[in-house]
Amino acid sequence: MIEVEHLTKRYGSHTAVDDISFTVEDGCIYGLLGPNGAGKSTTMNIITGYISATDGTVRINGHDIVEEPAAAKACIGYLPELPPLYQDMTVREYLLFVAELKGTRKKADRAAAVEQVCARVGLQEMEQRLIRNLSKGYRQRVGIAAALLGTPKIIILDEPTVGLDPAQMIEIRSLIRDLGKTHTVILSSHILSEVQSVCDRVLIIAHGRLAAQGTPEELAAQLTAKGTITATAQGSREAVAAAAESVPGLTDLRITAEADGEVSFTAVSTAGTDLRGALSQALAAAGCPVLSLSAETMSLEDVFLQLTEAQEPAAAPEVPAAVEPTEAPDTTETQDTTEGKEGDAQ
Amino acid sequence: MTAIFKREFKSCFTGMIGWVIAAVSLFFLGLYYTNRNLLYASSDFATVLYTMTMILLFLLPAISMRSFAEERKNKTDQLLLTSPVGIPSIVAGKYLAEVAVFALPLAAAVIMPLILTAFGTVSLVAAYSALLGYLLLGAACLAVGTWISALTENQILAYLATFGALLVAYLMNGIQTMFTTGNLLAFVVFMVIVLVAAILVGVSCKRLTAGLTVFCIGAAAVFILFLARPAWLLTAFNAVLDALALFEPFKDIVGGMFSIPAIVYYLSVIGLFLFMTGQALERRRWN
Repeated sequence: MIEVEHLTKRYGSHTAVDDISFTVEDGCIYGLLGPNGAGKSTTMNIITGYISATDGTVRINGHDIVEEPAAAKACIGYLPELPPLYQDMTVREYLLFVAELKGTRKKADRAAAVEQVCARVGLQEMEQRLIRNLSKGYRQRVGIAAALLGTPKIIILDEPTVGLDPAQMIEIRSLIRDLGKTHTVILSSHILSEVQSVCDRVLIIAHGRLAAQGTPEELAAQLTAKGTITATAQGSREAVAAAAESVPGLTDLRITAEADGEVSFTAVSTAGTDLRGALSQALAAAGCPVLSLSAETMSLEDVFLQLTEAQEPAAAPEVPAAVEPTEAPDTTETQDTTEGKEGDAQ
Repeated sequence: MTAIFKREFKSCFTGMIGWVIAAVSLFFLGLYYTNRNLLYASSDFATVLYTMTMILLFLLPAISMRSFAEERKNKTDQLLLTSPVGIPSIVAGKYLAEVAVFALPLAAAVIMPLILTAFGTVSLVAAYSALLGYLLLGAACLAVGTWISALTENQILAYLATFGALLVAYLMNGIQTMFTTGNLLAFVVFMVIVLVAAILVGVSCKRLTAGLTVFCIGAAAVFILFLARPAWLLTAFNAVLDALALFEPFKDIVGGMFSIPAIVYYLSVIGLFLFMTGQALERRRWN
């Protein structure tokens, strides 16, 4: 279990992590989601004791990372953004070194532990290879193997799939899911689909703040009810607008097009329920036949983009529903942006 | 600590650096030994080691430059600092490996005085105390280099800075003679030291008042000393310069004056710089 309280890290006047608090329960896979530069790596580096926080505390299984660093660090296996590998060692030498570093005293125990982690991450054939000659995917595996040594309860992986080809990504993801059965795993990523497919719980970080947290379904579901309704009805602009505004819970009405007695508009539903029925009835009652009516629900992607692209970071709410979307999401655009990001990562 | 020691030592010899160090030190050791002891039939092994101090200036920065600079550059320090090993153990493991790389070729130097005994009487005590002094001198230089390496992530910069620092220490005797004239100079130098200390305190506390207070108190103390007891200031000044002359105690040992203070001096230099290395690593985590 990791308890993070009021974590803050300032570099001069720049605040990298701003008052983040969360708790990581045992036996789950947690995803730290946020765009580049949001403070994910900084947070992980503080949790693992690589850098110190300006303010706030981190407790790993009850051990404070500053007060009892050795006990706290012994509970964690960490794979930093760039796996900390010594290029001039073979995979086996390196893993034996890490095992000894993590306090495995007997030589036979170290060898057994190395065998075991190599089998787990699929490195058996690479054991005698020099690390400098390994491909990126295998280096990542060596890094994960090193994190697993010393039998830590908690595994922290910083962007474990960055720079891998799609097949390797899938392999590493299934490895992480497998690890989740025996360990508590925290991974960071800026790829939504990854977090959605792997993690049990998601923490969205933006501008150094915790923007939202919950299960991927919760985050998406809480915002589904806040979806945008797009409708086209026949009638005059005033009549349609009046009818739409009479529906309780429907706000932010915007007329998008008006031609040949047809009025198209969008509105945001904040009532927490689907308002399409009510809107249809209201328009019919006002004598404006509905020509089309559709609701755009927000995917985790939209939630993510809205939370992270907001220029002015809102106060970090515990419940994601409290986050106000600043404008109606444009589905096509969001798709493009995310694909672009994934493309960069590869 | 043993894990880090073993890895460091091995990596020196899987790469070039360990072999180059061994080759260069054995070459010069053999050269001077052949020249002084064998060809000129001198029984004085200590002077051979004394001539070697010149070589140390070039050789030792090459051993110490990698230690923390390389780790930081390759981000492998992340592994060390997030593993359940304390900073003192990390520093000790790395430092001892450096000393071992430096000391390994000296195994040849252990036999050299023994060979000389075949040709006549040799003071083995003088020879081996000089060897011990040489080892301590090298270890002290390595501690300085390790500290400098912990301050930067550029190995070349670490090499040059360590070389520069060692060169100043090597030439300190000569530099000292330039400064024997006048108390005013001592006063100025101490004022500069107070100013630097005040700036350091101010920056580290992030308080202007703290820096100013340190400067005012320090400056007042130096000024009063200058007016009341100018001789003290000069003595203190010379004492500071003496302490910086890293190679002098070894010269005394070579001259036949094996002394406990010299040993204590080198051990304190090692302790001080390793402590500062630990502090440098610790400080990096906060910034």
